Formats: sequence, C-alpha cells, structure tokens
Amino acid sequence: MTCDSVREMLGAYLDGELDANAQFQMRTHLAECPDCPVVYRRLSSLKDRIREGDLHYSAPPELASRIRTSLRKARNTEPAAGTAFQPWMAIAASVLVAVLLGLGVYLLRRGTNSELLVQEIVSSHVRAMIGTHLVDMPSSDQHTVKPWFDGKLDYSPPVKDLKDQGFALVGGRVEYLNNRRVAALVYRRRKHVINVFVWPTTRSTQPTKVDTLNGYNVVRWVAAGMAYSAVSDLNTKELRELAELLIT
Amino acid sequence: MTDTRELTDFEAVILPHLDAAFNLARWLLGNEEDAQDIVHDSFLRAHRYFASFEGGDGRAWLLGIVRNTCMTSLRSKRRFEPFSELPEQPQRSEDVSADPERSLLLQENIASLRYCIESLPPEYREVVVMRELEELSYKEIAGVAGLALGTVMSRLNRARKRLEDCVSKALKGTAA
Repeated sequence: MTCDSVREMLGAYLDGELDANAQFQMRTHLAECPDCPVVYRRLSSLKDRIREGDLHYSAPPELASRIRTSLRKARNTEPAAGTAFQPWMAIAASVLVAVLLGLGVYLLRRGTNSELLVQEIVSSHVRAMIGTHLVDMPSSDQHTVKPWFDGKLDYSPPVKDLKDQGFALVGGRVEYLNNRRVAALVYRRRKHVINVFVWPTTRSTQPTKVDTLNGYNVVRWVAAGMAYSAVSDLNTKELRELAELLIT
Repeated sequence: MTDTRELTDFEAVILPHLDAAFNLARWLLGNEEDAQDIVHDSFLRAHRYFASFEGGDGRAWLLGIVRNTCMTSLRSKRRFEPFSELPEQPQRSEDVSADPERSLLLQENIASLRYCIESLPPEYREVVVMRELEELSYKEIAGVAGLALGTVMSRLNRARKRLEDCVSKALKGTAA
C-alpha cells in the first residue's frame, strides 16, 4: 500500500470501518512506514480530544414538553394549522376532494369487482361441497365430460384428466358465475376437492392471481381465450401445479 | 383508538432521541433558539411521516429528518457564520481544581475545538458531529445525509484535516 492510499483510509481505520483484510494491510503498513504513524497519532489524538471535550449539546427540558404539547394538538386538529386560511384554498380543497372522491370510487369499484368474483367462486365451491350437487356428470373420462357440456354452454371448455399427475377428474357440472353459465370441472387430489371454473374471455393473457378467502385458496389464470379459476382447500403450490398442467 | 396508540408508539420510539436531534441541530444551526425551533418542527414532521417508519433505528430515521430540515433552513437563510481568524478567549473558570495549568489548557483546547468545528462548512460539520458526537456508523451517516459511503469517508477525512489545522493554529494563537 502506498502512503497516499493509507492516508485516505486512516480515518476509516481509526473508526473501525474497514474490513479485516484492509485492517490487516493498514496495520502492516503502519508498522513499517516511518511517516504514516505520525499522521495516525495526530488523527487519533484529535478524536480523543473531541470525545473528552464533552461537546454534546443537550436539549433543554422545556423542549420535550413543548414537543409533547404540539404533538397532542396536531393529533386533535389533524390538518396542520399555522397557515392563514386563504379563499383559494377552499376552491383547491374542493377540487381535491372531488378528484379524490372520484379516484376512491373508481378504486373501490375496481377492487370489489375482483373481490366479488373471488367471493362468488368460493361460495360456489362451498355450496357444491356441502350439498349433494358436486357433479352433474360424474365421470373420470374426459371424452365423456367434454361432450356433456355441449348444448348446456355456448362454448366448449377444454377438459383434461390428470390422474397420472395426481389430479383425478371427478366430473363436471354447470354453474352460474360472473353473470353467466360456466363450466365447473371437479378434480380430486388426495382428500381435497378442487373446482375449476372455466369461461371464455377476450383477454389474451393475465398474470396468475392467488387469493385466499375463508381458508380457501383461489388461483386464477387465463389461457387460450379461457379464464380459469381453481378453488380448493388444497395449498396454493399444488393449485398452481394444476394450473400449469391445464395450460400445457 | 389507533391515533392514541400511534402517538404512544411515536413517543416511545422517537422521543428518546430528542438529545441527539437537538445536538445535531444545535451544531448545524449554530444557536440555541433556531435549534429548538427546527427540532420542534422536525418532530411534528416525523410524527406526520411516522407511518413510513419501517422500524429499526429510530435515531437514524429521526436524524435524517432533522438534518434535512436544518439544511433547508440553512440554504434558505444563507446564514453562515462570518469567519473570524481566532477563537474568543476561553472563559476562565472561578473554580480552578487541583491542577490549574492542566485545567486551563483543557478549557482552551475545548474552546478551540468547539470553534473549529463551528467553522467547518455544514457539509463537513454534519459528518463530524454524527461520527464523533453521535457515534453513528459510516453506513448510518450515509443514510441520514443521503450520501454514498465513499463520500462519507472522504468528507470525514477532509473535515478532520481542516480541524487539525484549525486547532493547531488556534492554540498557537492563544499561546502567543
């Protein structure tokens, strides 16, 4: 190490801010160099003098109580006082309120649309589980289930048996969801029942969404012009696996 | 009420760092009155932004707000102390303890140190105060002042160099 680079780092060395390797190099250099240790001792003495000098200012006791009082006042009269009220503020404020209100309503509606759908999906699943109406067409044969939907729906949902991958097809039924008749495919994984709702969509693609409601997991995705929603008490990891299998 | 709980949290997590906040403001602004006002405002500001505090070191978070409020105030006032060549004569204390020579020397030392730190430009002064008086790590200083780690290191180096020069000049001045 050159003296120049050592001097650059002397402060950091003194402050204990160097890594072990740099520290070692500094120590080695300081042990050998005739000049750098002088600079180091000067720096170190300055640091000691500042510390011993007791240069710390303490806050006057009344400042703490002043701050406490102001904090309580600020809490009680939320919008910060201090600026004199101007007429233009009223106009600005009402414009702001209108904009925020609009935005709020927009976000709220946007939010609830998706939330409502998840709620609907979960209650369809629960209804099917507690009733006797899990499947209209009990069959593990995709070639039986798929034609069964013809005439009951105005579209033909893809039906796949995935028994070899651990998702056994139980059957199909028709549900009313999202303001339309949709295909419900029922799969079983170990003891878990999975409802997969399928309906056509104009969206070409959409990132997979995962929601949890009342202990049920809902995984939604879009593939080949169809919107899928898989719902079950099965974990989301395996639900996503099913999604992958249905897409490919 | 969540408001009350939030205020209690704030007072428990942030208010204990009042001394650190005041020390930094006092050093940056150079006088008691401004420091009190700025610290007061900083606490109100901190309270408003408390929701954005993600836990961790409350002191560094608060100092960041104090520091920015101070710098804004300095910039708007452009109130830099006029540079005078020599420090004021240190006050001679009535109570001269066991070793009067040493006690006097110490006081002169402290007075010149204080003067020399005050004479540093605020950008240098803040790193010295945060490092030597608040004992913040370089990383914390970088966070508070919004600087790169390397900049903290080089500013501290330069600040210390200036301090050394200033102190030795000042001491020679009073000795002469």
